[in-house]
Amino acid sequence: MRTDPVTLQVLRNHCRAAAESMATTLYRTAHSTFVKETEDFTIQLLDRHGKTCAVPLDLGATWYPGVDYEDAIKLVPGGYEPGDICMTSDPYSGFLSTHSPDTNMWKPVFHEGEIIAFAGGHIHNVDVGGAVPASLSRTLTEVHQEGLRIPPSKLYRAGVLDETLLRTITANVRVPEQNWGDLKALVAAVNTGERRILELARRFGVETLKDGLADLLDYGEAQARAVLASLPDGTYHFADYCDEDGVGGDPLRLKLALRIQGDSAELDFTGTDPQTLCSMNVPTGGHPHHSLVLVGVYYVLSALSPKITLNFGTVRAFTCILPEGSVVNPAHPAAVGMRSLTCARLRSLVFGAFAQAAPERLPAAPAGSSSIINLAAENRRTGRRVISAIAPIVGGGGGMPHRDGTDGSGADAAYLKNSPIEITEAEAAIRILRYGLMPDTGGPGAHRGGLATVLEFTTDAPDATVTARNRDRSIFQPWGILGGRPGAASSFTLNPGAANEHDLRNTDILNPAPGDVVRIVSPGGGGRGDPMTRKPEAVLRDWQAGRVTTEAAARDYGVVIADGAVDTAATEALRAQQPAREGFDGGPNRAAHEARWDASAYAAMGEAMAEVPSAWRGRLKRHLFAKVRASQDPAADVIRREKNFGRG
Amino acid sequence: MALRVGVDVGGSFTDFAVLDDADGSLTTLKVFSRPDAPGQEIVEGMRQLAARHGIQAADVGYFTHGTTVGINTVIQRNGLKLALFTTRNFEDVLELARLKMAAYHNLFSRRPDPLIPRERVFGIEERVDAEGAVLTPIEEASVAGAVHGAIASGAQGILIAFLHAWRNPAHEQAAEAMIRRLAPELPVFRSAAIWPIIREYERTMTAAISGHVQPRVALYLDAFEDRLRELGVNCGLRITKSNGGVMGAAQARAECVQMLLSGTASGVIGAAFVAQAAGLPRIMSLDIGGTSADVAVIIDGQPEYGSGEVIGDFQIHIPSVSVTSIGQGGGSIASVDEFGVLKVGPESAGSLPGPACYGRGGERPTITDAVAVSGLIGHAGLGYGAVTLDLDRAKAAVGTVAGPLGIPLEQAAGEIIELAVSGMYTDTSALVSRFGIDVREFSLLAFGGAGPMLACFLARELNMASVVVPPAPGVLSAMGGLIADLRNDFIRIVYATLAPAVAPRLAEALEGMKAQALHWLHEEQGFAGEATLNLSAEMRYRGQSHEIAVPLELDAITDIPAITRAFHDRHRVMFGHADEKAAVQLITLRLVVAGATPKPRLRPCPPAEGPAEPDRLVPVYLDGAHTRAALYRREALRAGHTFPGPAIIAQPDCTTCVPAGFTVRVDGFGNLIIAVPEKAA
Repeated sequence: MRTDPVTLQVLRNHCRAAAESMATTLYRTAHSTFVKETEDFTIQLLDRHGKTCAVPLDLGATWYPGVDYEDAIKLVPGGYEPGDICMTSDPYSGFLSTHSPDTNMWKPVFHEGEIIAFAGGHIHNVDVGGAVPASLSRTLTEVHQEGLRIPPSKLYRAGVLDETLLRTITANVRVPEQNWGDLKALVAAVNTGERRILELARRFGVETLKDGLADLLDYGEAQARAVLASLPDGTYHFADYCDEDGVGGDPLRLKLALRIQGDSAELDFTGTDPQTLCSMNVPTGGHPHHSLVLVGVYYVLSALSPKITLNFGTVRAFTCILPEGSVVNPAHPAAVGMRSLTCARLRSLVFGAFAQAAPERLPAAPAGSSSIINLAAENRRTGRRVISAIAPIVGGGGGMPHRDGTDGSGADAAYLKNSPIEITEAEAAIRILRYGLMPDTGGPGAHRGGLATVLEFTTDAPDATVTARNRDRSIFQPWGILGGRPGAASSFTLNPGAANEHDLRNTDILNPAPGDVVRIVSPGGGGRGDPMTRKPEAVLRDWQAGRVTTEAAARDYGVVIADGAVDTAATEALRAQQPAREGFDGGPNRAAHEARWDASAYAAMGEAMAEVPSAWRGRLKRHLFAKVRASQDPAADVIRREKNFGRG
Repeated sequence: MALRVGVDVGGSFTDFAVLDDADGSLTTLKVFSRPDAPGQEIVEGMRQLAARHGIQAADVGYFTHGTTVGINTVIQRNGLKLALFTTRNFEDVLELARLKMAAYHNLFSRRPDPLIPRERVFGIEERVDAEGAVLTPIEEASVAGAVHGAIASGAQGILIAFLHAWRNPAHEQAAEAMIRRLAPELPVFRSAAIWPIIREYERTMTAAISGHVQPRVALYLDAFEDRLRELGVNCGLRITKSNGGVMGAAQARAECVQMLLSGTASGVIGAAFVAQAAGLPRIMSLDIGGTSADVAVIIDGQPEYGSGEVIGDFQIHIPSVSVTSIGQGGGSIASVDEFGVLKVGPESAGSLPGPACYGRGGERPTITDAVAVSGLIGHAGLGYGAVTLDLDRAKAAVGTVAGPLGIPLEQAAGEIIELAVSGMYTDTSALVSRFGIDVREFSLLAFGGAGPMLACFLARELNMASVVVPPAPGVLSAMGGLIADLRNDFIRIVYATLAPAVAPRLAEALEGMKAQALHWLHEEQGFAGEATLNLSAEMRYRGQSHEIAVPLELDAITDIPAITRAFHDRHRVMFGHADEKAAVQLITLRLVVAGATPKPRLRPCPPAEGPAEPDRLVPVYLDGAHTRAALYRREALRAGHTFPGPAIIAQPDCTTCVPAGFTVRVDGFGNLIIAVPEKAA
């Protein structure tokens, strides 16, 4: 290291302070409620190559502490001069913004004619035009339908706003003043960043600052490598599934081979399904350290080493193999708007692979479905149609090595905030009938998975539209480990318990009739350890708190509760009948799917895919799944019979 | 009433401030706190006041006290075991809170355990809508069942918190009446009676804290009042409030929620007063104790107010002086991680065992030990001779990090200080960003045992104009309580989109609050002077989720355009933009009533009759180099004295460290005004 250890720590504190001041500026000045409510923005302090050195700790989303701006920075034509501010929202140039609503912005910081650093950040614009309001839908098939895309461009040239670019933006979006308002907030943030970085240059000296930023990356890398070195060498295979690869579609399999060798790791996504026909693709450009596929890694590292510094150095210890034409490296013009749904599964995929490497140190699967429920309806009192965010429906964390999973939310969804019912009912044409934790949904285990959240509501508005984007895990449950059982699947039900009850499965948009009751239950977290070894007192406490019913206590835990107490003799007798459980449990649907779609079937599909251009693969997959469904023969045989797909 | 007394009971010391109404003179006194025998410190203090200053209990006409008993009860969670009755199907209100949790990058992140565990939460069959209309009448059988369950679960009291009770408390009232019939021995609390804000989690949480601390606070106040009566103090006891005012002990017993931050708020009020007297309009107060540093922003003598202050694991949503705790104090521990990198905090040695150099069993190096090894403290007895500084122990402790770092002892000490200050800088900088203030226009007013020791270093990092150290930094809290005005907040939730039709509602709400406020001040508090009324509204654009406070004119409450304009203007000041076309909602009207109490005339410091003479030069390690610093004794300094750093100013309750480049000036009240060197551009 070029910087002495104490100066480095002092610099680290100052860089974090600079990043936090940028984030506060952004949060305070942002216009759209969406940005304020969901904190769907991030801030980065970047070195002169565009690598992230520091991020804020408690403001904004968790996805980009290791993001790399370098490719996007280089794509701006005409070099840089002081006062430039650049932006991009194109998921296919530089792979910095990964769907069109995300605008990334960066500003070079000059010192005596030389770029010493960049200030950067991103914000999710509510709408950027395109085929549907808010620009996001699983029904879209090409990125061209997903609204305006700005390739890396200068919004300000030497301090002067490019009015043409701005007019182009505002002409293409549905609520232009909101976009411009949010862009201005981002501009204010990078300007704050420039000022703070220049202060750092004065405080530490330019050379110390430049060296220090490089050393911060080395320090982040060393910390990540130390964690890797503490894990056993080996290759750990894992797969996880999204319920559907499109509306009413087939399972979407994500596949990972995690190779840990010494203090390095390779994440090989070979075997992951081809890019989807809908907008669930995750654009990475095959970048070997792409932040979006490494979000799960940040969580794992923070769990294994709570005080770890996360920055671009962290991701240098990890190399990703992202096959072209797969869902994790789609080819233009595949649609990408709903990549958040797939990203949730990418995180649980990474958690699962690491849980194989260090089962004693890591939790079972978190609920893994983060959906924000919105209601658009006319408010009878005000006569105004309003879109209200009702609640994020996320579900609990997985059972941990040392305690139960956090109930209701947690793990990779811990940053979301809910809305008070008293405000929601005053603003929207809605009556909330129930909001709370759903009993018996935490995956049974020695350490139970966190419970699901349930939301039940009705509306008397005749024109109501309910949206529930990013719902998943209604088929493939959050898995349990070490003998723990999976968390309960999510559900979406119209008129539960009534004669006209209807299972809405993974529907994203619903028009309930006045008086209809809508119930959404998130998934629960997976359990960890054999539930028959859970202390009966812990089961009793759950029972007293209404987290587990009498029936489930007996069925899932072998604990007999009578008259408000554990019947010890009956419990021992019941538990004695249960075989010991160990290992992984992804639930019956996953088991059934993998019985039909076994390794040979997926291998055969992989071979078939290799024969066709990437743009055809989604259709081929759909075709093969239909054929396999229609046949009783082994799936691999069925697939091999279809090798003439597309050849007339 | 001739004499006014303020008392602040801290972990180690109890401070007294006595104001003589006749001439405005202020007398201060410090005695040991007696955690082993609470109340004895008051007896001892009054004895010494009589012996040394001839102050007799019978002459005391006004007695204020700031206490941490409420906050300690919440932190230790050893108050009343409450059961919670909620609207059925919403029993998880405390469990889920607002979902978002701290340390959210970690897979193991969790919310703190709720103050009332889920097994003592009972859903009641009842429902009121957002307009206050009854949808489901309250069902007596379900209340009876819940009371039965609560008693069976071992609950010692019951909190009722129903949805929309702020708008229509009838169901809460009905439930209370039923419980009183069914279980007359149980204390009952109602959310809308404790603090009737909108937002069910925040209202329930605030009420839960209030109920939880109530019996302990009441017992404490009973004992305190008994002690005063025995001593012959015949005036009523007044308690300082979180909002920076005072109230009678009867109100404090009933409305515990108002006095949780009593201790910290008093310090800020004291700091504001000293700053105002010294002619400093913009102040950041810095109170560093053993485990944390409390920072507040004071502009023109007025602290910033907020709601949502953090108490233990929770936030409490009543109007409070806005104080932010940052995680480092004199007891924060230094260590070296597995990469050979030095870290300071968040672990702390607290007041027990405390820093190694206190010789009370601490062995790990703390910030205070590093300061001792650097030669910056220990030149006079610490804490009025209560602590003698053991330099060898400090050296041994700092040695445990110097060794692994492979650097000399003094250098390790210097680096611990530098790193600790940069940590404080990071937290303070975030606070500065949040308040949106230009810190270069602010002075840092340091108090608490470790404040003056570290203030210059922090002010330099923050690029602040100056540091101020009052003559008796330890007594600010006691004095703050003493000079705090009688002050109470009244709110009405209006929740309306601004339009001419709303005007009558606003006028009616204001009239109601005004009557209540004046009754409180003149009848309940027996204040004969003139009332000050300040009106504000919490407003937002429709669709926003956070309100901002907008000051309003009392006599223009029906002028809707003016109110709307005031909101746009305030929004522009805070966020840089305003949307003149958007609909504006007024959620809450707030009226603050205050009755001014007499203020002391701070004793002028005698003028200097020659240059300041240092006691001696002492060897120190400062800013990475061995040097000599001039050691001054605080009591020898006079108004007009000026001297440069490096310097150390020793006094019985604290030590002020001044690095090279800084200039110290003693002002007319004896405050040290320390100019921070300009940063090289």
